[in-house]
Amino acid sequence: MPAGPDTVGDMKYAIEAEGLVKRYGDKTALDGIDLRVRTGAVLGVLGPNGAGKTTAVRILATLAAPDAGRALVGGYDVTRQARKVRELIGLTGQYASVDEKLTGPQNLLLMGRLLGLSRSEARTRAAELLARFGLEEAAGRAASGYSGGMRRRLDLAVSLVSRPRILFLDEPTTGLDPHARGELWEVVRELTADGVTVLLTTQYLEEADQLADDLLVIDRGRVAAAGTPDELKALAGGHRLDVKPLHAADLEKAEAILGAKAVDGVVSIPVHDLAEPPAALRALDDAAIVLAEHALRLPSLDDVFLTLTGDPR
Amino acid sequence: MTTALSQGLTLAWRSLIPLKNSPGQLFGMLFQPVFMIVIFVYLFGGAAGGDRAGAVAYMLPGVLVQVALMSTITTGMNLATDIGNGVFDRFRTMPIARSAPLAGRIMADLLTLLITIAMSMIVGYAVGFRVTTDPIAALAGLGLVLLLAMALSWGSAWIGLVAKSVTSMQGISTAVLLPLTFGSSAFVPATDMPGWLTWWMSVNPVSHLAGALRGFLTGGLHVSDLWITLGWTAALLALFVPLALRAYNRRVR
Repeated sequence: MPAGPDTVGDMKYAIEAEGLVKRYGDKTALDGIDLRVRTGAVLGVLGPNGAGKTTAVRILATLAAPDAGRALVGGYDVTRQARKVRELIGLTGQYASVDEKLTGPQNLLLMGRLLGLSRSEARTRAAELLARFGLEEAAGRAASGYSGGMRRRLDLAVSLVSRPRILFLDEPTTGLDPHARGELWEVVRELTADGVTVLLTTQYLEEADQLADDLLVIDRGRVAAAGTPDELKALAGGHRLDVKPLHAADLEKAEAILGAKAVDGVVSIPVHDLAEPPAALRALDDAAIVLAEHALRLPSLDDVFLTLTGDPR
Repeated sequence: MTTALSQGLTLAWRSLIPLKNSPGQLFGMLFQPVFMIVIFVYLFGGAAGGDRAGAVAYMLPGVLVQVALMSTITTGMNLATDIGNGVFDRFRTMPIARSAPLAGRIMADLLTLLITIAMSMIVGYAVGFRVTTDPIAALAGLGLVLLLAMALSWGSAWIGLVAKSVTSMQGISTAVLLPLTFGSSAFVPATDMPGWLTWWMSVNPVSHLAGALRGFLTGGLHVSDLWITLGWTAALLALFVPLALRAYNRRVR
């Protein structure tokens, strides 16, 4: 027997998917994805554009049916028990899906009424969410006049009217400025503190590093790696040496000496032995390459991404 | 069932809010009949010569039909807009009746159609149009307009659900509606026209609808106009309701 909504908190995994496949015509968007999200945790799904992140979210949020594989959300099958799943989830899409002709309060009121709240309950809930998301000032304006950050906050607020226990955030901060991004991160942290399970897709490694307990890297519809941020960083090796030649003309020579490709004018190599950096720097010096900067650092998720997908974001 | 109905009503309310939020839209809806009547009665009617009372009596039913049928475009446009900007997907992730978004749309459009028709009659009275039959006949005539408009709304909904974008939806429906409304005897009698046009005007349901409305409002109803309009309404509903529902079910699976 599948568990009821009130038992989501007792389940080990709020979201479980096995072998998800989705094709659009002759294009394979998902080519067998397995994923699990621990109840109350944040899973960050990372991948370049077109990796299949949004397709995976659409399947888990009952918007698309998988061609193969199965998925349980809150213990319910997403295809056969879609309605049960819908009672548990909230979705904030990559593109804000609020009604732009309605004001923020009207959007929130609409959701409350659709979910069966009475007029006064819906009003109260709308007022709560407006205050929480700092949207009170814009209350009289249609959402089409909101800034990108405000619209995204409203979109998130709208998906929280039902107090979902499981929340899908599909690239929630794409296109936002750093300030608006930080504000959204704060909200996600508050939600997870309340025990909400979050599946978050992002192209920003920093975002995943900030918010996610577990990470899944997908590339071309397949899982490239899974683990905690620390585990994934370990995949990229220990320390790294970054060198940046002063003259762009020296970049190719530096690449040849160090045996690595440059990204944004910086050549980065894994360091296995602390005797390696001085040797590498000497080799560059012998080749008369002047460096603008060099640094020894711990690997970032960018390095993981590069190692796994062979693609500098 | 009752929850499906209340969800439909909530979504109908949602569809009507923009009229309240942006007075420009409400103004446009209310005053389109005014502009149409001014254009057809005073501009074209005046150019055609003849007395103004006669022009008003002939043109007003035509303008009313035109305004009502053109407003059916909004059904499909609004559906296409909701699909395009993700509002539809939001509804689909919620535990609500599958039929609610479509039902809400249709209820809201029916209400705006009623307002448009009422406004056309008010403006008509202001410029001297008078119902010379009786109120029951007048209501029957307006009901007939509502029926054919509703049938076309389903066609509009279907196009809106399958169209690739709002712009293409608008293009397709305008291309269908313009020959239907203007290529009819709604504004000009089908005399002194090239043969092919006379033929088209005689089969065009809008000609018969305008003719029937004229008969209901000012007398001289040809019963054939009534039956042909009802026949077309039934045929359009039989065609477009299943098509629209199928397209809708595909979208909301």
